[in-house]
Amino acid sequence: MRTLRNPFLNWLVEHPTAAGFAVVGAGIVLLALLPILLYVLPIRKVPLRYNLRNLQNRWKTTLVTALAFTFVTGLLTGMLSFVRGMDRLTESSGHPGNVIVLSDGATDEAFSNLPPMAVEQLPRDLQREVQKTEDGQWLFSKEVYVIVMYMIPNPSAGGRERRFVQMRGLDNIPVAAAVHDVKLAVGDWPREPFVRKVDGFGNAKEIVIGHGVARAFGSDVGKKMLEPGDTVVLGPETWVVSGVMEEGGNSFGSEIWTRDLFVQQGFGRENSYCSYVVRTASADKAKLAAQEIKNFKLERNLQAFTERAYYAKMSETSKQFSFAIYIVAVIMAIGGVLGVMNTMYAAISQRGKDIGVLRLMGYRRWQILLSFQLESLLIALLGGVLVCVVAFLLFNGTTVSSIISSGVGGGGKSVVLRLIFDTFVFGFGLTFSLLMGALGGFFPSLSAMRLRPLESLR
Amino acid sequence: MFTRLYEQIAADPINLAAAIITLIVLVAGAAYIVTYPRLFMLGLKNLRRHFLRTALTSAAIGVLAFMITTIWTIIFFIDLITVERSKDLKIIVTYRWSVPSQMPITHADYLNPASSQFLPELVDAQGNKLYGPNDFMTWSFYGGTTDPAKITPDTLILFFVMEPEQIIPMMDDLGDLDPKLVEALKDKPQGCLLGTDKLKALDKKVGERFKLTSINYKGIDLEFEIVGVLPDGRYNASAIMRMDYFNKSFEQYARANNGRAHPLANKRLNLIWLRVGDRDKFDQIGSIVMKSPRFSNFPVKVETASSLVGSFLDAYRDIFLAMKFVIVPGMLVIMALVMANAISITVRERRGEMAVMKVLGYRPNQVFLLIVGEAVFVGAVAGLLAAGATFAFFNLRWGGIPFRIGFFPVFRIPEAALMWGLAIGTLTALAGCLIPAWTARSVKVSEVFSKVA
Repeated sequence: MRTLRNPFLNWLVEHPTAAGFAVVGAGIVLLALLPILLYVLPIRKVPLRYNLRNLQNRWKTTLVTALAFTFVTGLLTGMLSFVRGMDRLTESSGHPGNVIVLSDGATDEAFSNLPPMAVEQLPRDLQREVQKTEDGQWLFSKEVYVIVMYMIPNPSAGGRERRFVQMRGLDNIPVAAAVHDVKLAVGDWPREPFVRKVDGFGNAKEIVIGHGVARAFGSDVGKKMLEPGDTVVLGPETWVVSGVMEEGGNSFGSEIWTRDLFVQQGFGRENSYCSYVVRTASADKAKLAAQEIKNFKLERNLQAFTERAYYAKMSETSKQFSFAIYIVAVIMAIGGVLGVMNTMYAAISQRGKDIGVLRLMGYRRWQILLSFQLESLLIALLGGVLVCVVAFLLFNGTTVSSIISSGVGGGGKSVVLRLIFDTFVFGFGLTFSLLMGALGGFFPSLSAMRLRPLESLR
Repeated sequence: MFTRLYEQIAADPINLAAAIITLIVLVAGAAYIVTYPRLFMLGLKNLRRHFLRTALTSAAIGVLAFMITTIWTIIFFIDLITVERSKDLKIIVTYRWSVPSQMPITHADYLNPASSQFLPELVDAQGNKLYGPNDFMTWSFYGGTTDPAKITPDTLILFFVMEPEQIIPMMDDLGDLDPKLVEALKDKPQGCLLGTDKLKALDKKVGERFKLTSINYKGIDLEFEIVGVLPDGRYNASAIMRMDYFNKSFEQYARANNGRAHPLANKRLNLIWLRVGDRDKFDQIGSIVMKSPRFSNFPVKVETASSLVGSFLDAYRDIFLAMKFVIVPGMLVIMALVMANAISITVRERRGEMAVMKVLGYRPNQVFLLIVGEAVFVGAVAGLLAAGATFAFFNLRWGGIPFRIGFFPVFRIPEAALMWGLAIGTLTALAGCLIPAWTARSVKVSEVFSKVA
């Protein structure tokens, strides 16, 4: 496909359906906001004071209607912030220069089965693309990934007794951390012999835990977070926390990392890996390397993706929830619109005489329409602004657990993510609220416009 | 239908509450019509007089009730399968330490009452086995694609690999399966039963064949013949194949590879199900299985089906909590606000009418009842119609709500949903109308007429 220089035009060409919806949506929003735009212009119109006083006089109805808007928009922004959190998580979980290799046919790390391999086994030209650390080690990580059972210590009666947690065994933990750009918030990376003595437990194997895991496990034992030196029982073993990862908003925050051998021996994955991750110099080189690795034959066929592409595929769950959220939002909006129609029809039936007087004063039909439409928009704006403030204060940054998956062949990863209330969410929420106001006010305003002055004064 | 409705009411306190509310609404409504027939007719006339407002309010309540019914169906279903049932309790035996559970096929022999290797600890002093052959089932999962170059949900099939005779006695919701389908499966080693969605996605008919390239057992690619279709609903996206065909494919693999077994040959059993009846039996059998040295090489754990499903759905926990405690209550509040707004507008417009009623001898309580009656009538009817429409729309079109969560492709709307609609319509109408109705009750005749004068 021809590439245009302007990225926006390029996007429009590449996504014609989405572009069509975007154009139609923008048109609707523009039409909805037209009354506000017209009010800014220096033309004759019904004074804004008139509308404000009416809203003030009917303050109970105004408040109840605005509250309905607040709830509809509040639910929408809350759900949207979740989707944004999921999107952010999947976007930031892959490094653009990384290539992830799975066994052929596997749709998820959990179902992949690879033999041990070294960079030196790759063809020479492919080896040249693999980056190295400052001390000359290949930025190449062999990883075995399992979902293990964590029995919650002293569970409450009737409460949950266990969690599934994701454990990643790595052949070289500091190198894997460099490949995945993961840093420690506290503690140290596990070091040889990867086992240390813990009072009361004897020898315990060292693990590094993600921020989300530290928080979840901490809450199980009445602490804010687990810290270095704390122990956990996973599978048949006791493990000691040597470090906690920095909170990075990626899926590794929901994982436990340790030495590969411990995972292979402890969880029935002897001498096998689930994935290799290779760091190349750039996104373009990663794409080329992924292609070359697909053509490379080891003991079995391999499949390779850039890590970004892999995590983009993992956003199917997020897409499904986004779709459901928009459906729910539209249906809620219909409820809200019908509610506001009720209010505006009532307002108009009570103010027939006002309308007659305004017409006799020389205001035209379209100016009456504009005035009532604006009143409806003002109620919507009040509700929309209220919800943005309340939602931001109450929920911004709240963490929730969820799952990301490709939606094909099972699998998926449990993740802990933050709700994101950013400009997009607030902009969308406010526009949505105004749209409801515009649609809800339109038909009543039309009926107000069509009132005949003398009849309405009778 | 009534049996299912009864079961749903007995299984869930929310359904019970909805049933009680429905009963109260019906009894109170009938009493209202009998005691105050003129008031009831007056209410109906008022609703017709303000037809636009009645229609808008009913429509608003209706669409929100539609949405609540849809969301609550998912919550109801998840609650139902993650809460332990006292009857028909089943044990699931899986690998102890990690998922997916992968166990040696020999584990099944130790727990199969029909096998000679059945654990002797599971036989009581009188020589009776603690459960019978119809209380035992094993599952392996075989997944494959019809198009290895394009793995999509449409080209992918995940089979429950099991013995055909275990389907009717042990599979949830397949107790009523036509026995001819089981016989057809027994007749053809390569036979399989497919769900309606899978059949549609493959564009195949019963009697046709297809080939799968495995995605979880590399090198075990199998050919199938479709011998029947699974009933509409829970298994629409599922498929069932025979265990012996699956096992033979591993032998063929070894033969084709100079006697080298498939890497997963010794881990091809995923789950074992045992029906134990009640909690005491569960504890007894569970303890025996957990302690048995036969499973020491691949340790196992036992749990109820509800517990296992609950663990798998744990990642969705916050989403379900948000649906249950934020979205649904939020919608109920919106419904109540819409109703409150509509009724308060009505009351404000009809202050003169209320005053005339009082002059004509209507007592304040009767004015209050008139307003409450109008609101409840609109709420209950709109809620009931919306729930009925939701029930018909989803169940008839897709066999339920087509929203995949974990391994559940659709959520069938239960019959009890009709009562949910009526109950939420009534309750939100009541919540929204009480203050305006009280205002109407307190209208002072002198004040109204002094303003008119």
